[in-house]
Amino acid sequence: MLDITIANISFSYGSQVILQDINLKAQAGDFICLLGPSGCGKSTLLRLLAGLSKPTSGNIAINGTAITGPGLDRGVVFQDYSLFPWMTAGENVIMVLNQAFPGKKKGEYREIAHSYLEMVGLDDVFNKLPGQLSGGMRQRAAIARAFAINSPILLMDEPFGALDAITRAKLQDLLLTLWQQNSGARKTVVFVTHDVDEALLLSSRIIVLGLNPGRITEDIAVDIPRPRIRKELYLKKDFLELRDRLVMALNENIINRLDEDQIVQPPGEGI
Amino acid sequence: MKYGRFIPHIIFAVLAAVLFCPSGGTVLPWRLLTLAAAIEIIFILRARFDSCPDNRTAAGDIAAILQLSLLAWQLLTARFNMLDKMLFPTPEVVLTLFISELPDMIKGLWSSIILLTGGYFLALSTAIPLGLIIGWRKRLFHAVNPFAKVLGPIPPIVYIPYAIALLPTFRLASIFVIFVGAFWPLFVNTINGVFNIPCGLIDAARVLNLKERTILWKVILPGAMPSICTGANLGLLFAFVLLAAAELIGATSGIGWYVKNFSDFADYQRVVVGILFIGVVVTVITWGTERLERHLLRWRN
Repeated sequence: MLDITIANISFSYGSQVILQDINLKAQAGDFICLLGPSGCGKSTLLRLLAGLSKPTSGNIAINGTAITGPGLDRGVVFQDYSLFPWMTAGENVIMVLNQAFPGKKKGEYREIAHSYLEMVGLDDVFNKLPGQLSGGMRQRAAIARAFAINSPILLMDEPFGALDAITRAKLQDLLLTLWQQNSGARKTVVFVTHDVDEALLLSSRIIVLGLNPGRITEDIAVDIPRPRIRKELYLKKDFLELRDRLVMALNENIINRLDEDQIVQPPGEGI
Repeated sequence: MKYGRFIPHIIFAVLAAVLFCPSGGTVLPWRLLTLAAAIEIIFILRARFDSCPDNRTAAGDIAAILQLSLLAWQLLTARFNMLDKMLFPTPEVVLTLFISELPDMIKGLWSSIILLTGGYFLALSTAIPLGLIIGWRKRLFHAVNPFAKVLGPIPPIVYIPYAIALLPTFRLASIFVIFVGAFWPLFVNTINGVFNIPCGLIDAARVLNLKERTILWKVILPGAMPSICTGANLGLLFAFVLLAAAELIGATSGIGWYVKNFSDFADYQRVVVGILFIGVVVTVITWGTERLERHLLRWRN
């Protein structure tokens, strides 16, 4: 329920400019999708929000306070590696609870961890190691962990990118259900994806990022009423128009890129 | 290979036949016979009851190799006297001595184990924490790396004479040399293990805002554990080598000293017995460390 202000952010890696002049103000309770082709810097922007990297210039403020590093006011879910593989699903959640709410009894942590895993339909795998879980179950557990610290902001970096279509749809629904559960104190979500349909289904606002250097090319409010039902969405004219527009915006990026000269060297030549 | 599974039985039968037809008044070598029969029984049990088919065939192959070696040994020494009697004792003599010397060897083993565990645990308890911190802190790594590169490759055996001169007792000198030998592989592998932790896991730890101590203990240590185990195995190997070397040079007890002492007296029967005993001890220790490693790394697949 905190708002995020991104002011004049630029980020360079060596001489390569990854992000340039990003300005964005997210309202508390927004569900923002960062949409763009790979290499546009959307994940980098999320890392900056998470406090994992520092911007080359500009700053990011949460409720007016500039961020200096990672913090428990922001829960993060990555595509992989969110869970520690040497801890069971339950231990992974308990570790985070320990960090966020110190000073409770062991049994209490266990109980809370159970309830969060139950919330994502995973109570029966409390004692399983991540390696014993499917990709979808791992991401469920990662979501449970992110919700367990009860952070007002949730940052997600293509969390469903490695899942099959059906698992992905189920997890999208789960995420929306959790997000909408208490409408008074909705989390502010920043969700990175390159999937137009995913962005349209989830978000209240879509930020399209362009390439070379990464910059905001479109900022679209998504007013499609919720609950958004997949079957019906594809029959709605405004949804399809918006979808076309986003696909065009993304494709423009790709087409421009394809026009660039490519140097293809047959193997063995030029050595 | 339709009848391949009978090969170990056939070799066992041949061996038994050789043993039962003693040449010229020798008594039945019943200890060797017992050993061969024990191998046969274990093979039959495993071939029948092991749940994994690969293990069942492996049991047959191993039994065949063991029986064949015993047969060859028996034929070359006791039966046909083709080898020098002093240098190549018969299997029966070795087995008899193995049993009668066991109390002495176990006593020697104790003094060896004290040196080994002393040096090895000293290495574990210093190399792993140092490796974790130095691998985690890039600046420390860059400062320490040149020294590690120079000191690490020095063969620890060269320290033995100096350590004996430097330290008040032989025991301390041995522990020191074993420590040095086990330290470097552990240290280097721990650092590499920290480097090889996927960045994503470090990020996942950082976004949780964990305390540095918690990161080192709960993330870096388990993340580096596969590589630490590799280093620990290598370190243990070095520790064995250095233990034996140290005992050959300056000890007055211990299992390496046992072998050296009897070879000084040209008692090669006991030398062979001592070497076999060391083989058994090392096998038991490695079996234990493998179990421990499997437990520590159970999260991998």
